[in-house]
Amino acid sequence: MTAPTTSPTRTLPRLPRSALVGLGIGALFLLALFGRYEPKVAVSILLSGLTLGFLYFMVSAGLSLIFGLMDVLNFAHGTLFMLGAYVGLAVFNAPFLAGWSTDVRFLTALVMGGLVAGALGALTELSLIRPLYSRPIYQVLLTLGLTFVGGELIKAIWGTAGFFMPTPSFFNTQGANCPSPDLLAFFTDHCSSILILGRAFPSYRLFVIGLGLVMFLAVALLLRKTRLGIIIRAGVQDGEMVQALGINVRRVFTLVFALGAALAGIGGVAAAPIIGVNLGIGQEFLLQSFISIVIGGMGSFGGATVGALLVGLARAFGDQLVLSGVQIPFVQEVIRLSPSIARASTVIIMGIVLLIRPAGLFGKKD
Amino acid sequence: MRFLKSNAGGLALVAALIAFPFVLSLLTGEALNTGTPKFWQGMLAQVFILGVYALSYDLLMGVTGVLSFGHAMFFGAGAYTAGILLKYAHWGLLPVIAAVIVVTLVQSLLVGALSLRVKGVYYAMVTLAFAQMFFILAEASDFREYTGAEDGLQGIPVPAWLSPTHERLTFYFVSLAFCVCVYLIVRRIVSSPTGRVLVAIRDNEQRAQTVGFNTFAFKLIAMALSGVLAGLAGMMSALWNLSANAGMLSTGTTINALLMVIIGGAGTLSGSLLGAGFLQLVGYWLNDAFGPRWPLLFGLVYIVIVLFLPYGIIGTWRARRRQG
Repeated sequence: MTAPTTSPTRTLPRLPRSALVGLGIGALFLLALFGRYEPKVAVSILLSGLTLGFLYFMVSAGLSLIFGLMDVLNFAHGTLFMLGAYVGLAVFNAPFLAGWSTDVRFLTALVMGGLVAGALGALTELSLIRPLYSRPIYQVLLTLGLTFVGGELIKAIWGTAGFFMPTPSFFNTQGANCPSPDLLAFFTDHCSSILILGRAFPSYRLFVIGLGLVMFLAVALLLRKTRLGIIIRAGVQDGEMVQALGINVRRVFTLVFALGAALAGIGGVAAAPIIGVNLGIGQEFLLQSFISIVIGGMGSFGGATVGALLVGLARAFGDQLVLSGVQIPFVQEVIRLSPSIARASTVIIMGIVLLIRPAGLFGKKD
Repeated sequence: MRFLKSNAGGLALVAALIAFPFVLSLLTGEALNTGTPKFWQGMLAQVFILGVYALSYDLLMGVTGVLSFGHAMFFGAGAYTAGILLKYAHWGLLPVIAAVIVVTLVQSLLVGALSLRVKGVYYAMVTLAFAQMFFILAEASDFREYTGAEDGLQGIPVPAWLSPTHERLTFYFVSLAFCVCVYLIVRRIVSSPTGRVLVAIRDNEQRAQTVGFNTFAFKLIAMALSGVLAGLAGMMSALWNLSANAGMLSTGTTINALLMVIIGGAGTLSGSLLGAGFLQLVGYWLNDAFGPRWPLLFGLVYIVIVLFLPYGIIGTWRARRRQG
């Protein structure tokens, strides 16, 4: 028997302290939520938050993996997300698929969105990022320029108008017995919403949560259980050493870049039926995933996940709060605000985290 | 005398720019305040305003080596502060300038104190997030009364003597003087003891720290200075456009600053002005030639420069001259 080899990693949360912090914040949040609203409203806010959170996760996971491995902060990641959404919509509406059901078209759109974004990510890494590893600042300058070029290209191809993407029919059936009384009934009637504690919740959003979970597990398994994952984790620790051991780190870089980009592209397609397809979504998701990463800690996959979920929950809670009105002590009337205020206020959460713990919840102090 | 000799090129350029409207008027035979001369005065006035904005960014990025991706927030804050005070509070120009300085100073100190807690690309990311917050707030319908939300703040009343439409020549000279003053100030700052510390931080922050400088404080100073200058440039821009809009706070505006500084050469100061001229004039020609798709070409030019001309035009030229 050899001694069990456990390797400390930065790519997965180092339990238990950091996880406890995340759980603690989550518990506080739940307490506030259930204290304020009746259970069925609270659960529905919670689920909305998880939906948003997993969408943010799809962007921040790749961002964080890429940064952890090759120290490149990819400012174009939001653009890849947006590109995924546009490509997904184009595939969804493609004439040669018109004969198929919306479900098949949507699945094809998901796959194609991921593939196109992934291929573009790989191409970017190979042609533009690679020559600049010796000049890290210029890499960031370059990716910021790519957001600009990407946005303009999308504008040139698809125009400035926004688009609406319908949910596939699997999640969009209207009928006499809708909304579905429970999850099991949903699989026979495919209603657009499901009753949860007596309150209707869109079934497509549950699918997004499921998709996010699957993606999280897949990446976590990849990092934990495969040879590639071991190389990635080792590369995060010490890239030069990995190279010295005879492993082609550059090829792994390209792969991880493509993988991160593909995650964002799939995220874009998955988000399209919820948030629509327009030129603003790239910046919006980049911003929220930056905030997730600051909260979670740079270069940590677990941190990016927890951060994204927290930001999603905060967004859902904030939206509910500003819509129903904020009661400030000593002021008679209730203040009603637009959702933009909730959107902007997540930046304040980031500010607070920077004040208390600049390295983020899961980040290494340096 | 020595000042005259060592700055002959710059002085000649300023003299040429002062003479420019009159020469152009003579050549075209049109009056100063009409047609071609008026148009080109406007073009150059915009170059001067952009030049100040680029200089402010160069002070932060080129001189101090702090890469901020949120510079647009100061530019936009200056524009909105000036616009709102002129339009709704009916303040005079001087108190407005003072207010712009105070607002952008407080803003840059607050944002700086938070974001300078992290370094490098991390800092770039955090500043971008802050800038996006201001962008979202400018577009939010809650403050439509003051900011005009997504329509922007329209119809800013500019004092009659400075009106860019009726008194174009005055505006031209005011913006020229503004640009020259800021250039001299920034150059003075860079060669002051404080400025040398800033350069030291860029070259090797750890060393500067070891020598005993509080690099956080110095970086905060650089950020405040550059924030205030950018705010003033934003104010001038609002005066020129007679409006302020959320686009002034967008990532695009930050990219413009980067573009100008990188084209000219980071840390060279005069390069920023060259970059501003390039951005405005080439932008105008590209717009003429390619219509609304020209920003795409600019983006591509930017990428090519980042890849192949890292020290910019002035920087590469200086390096060549030093070698030769």
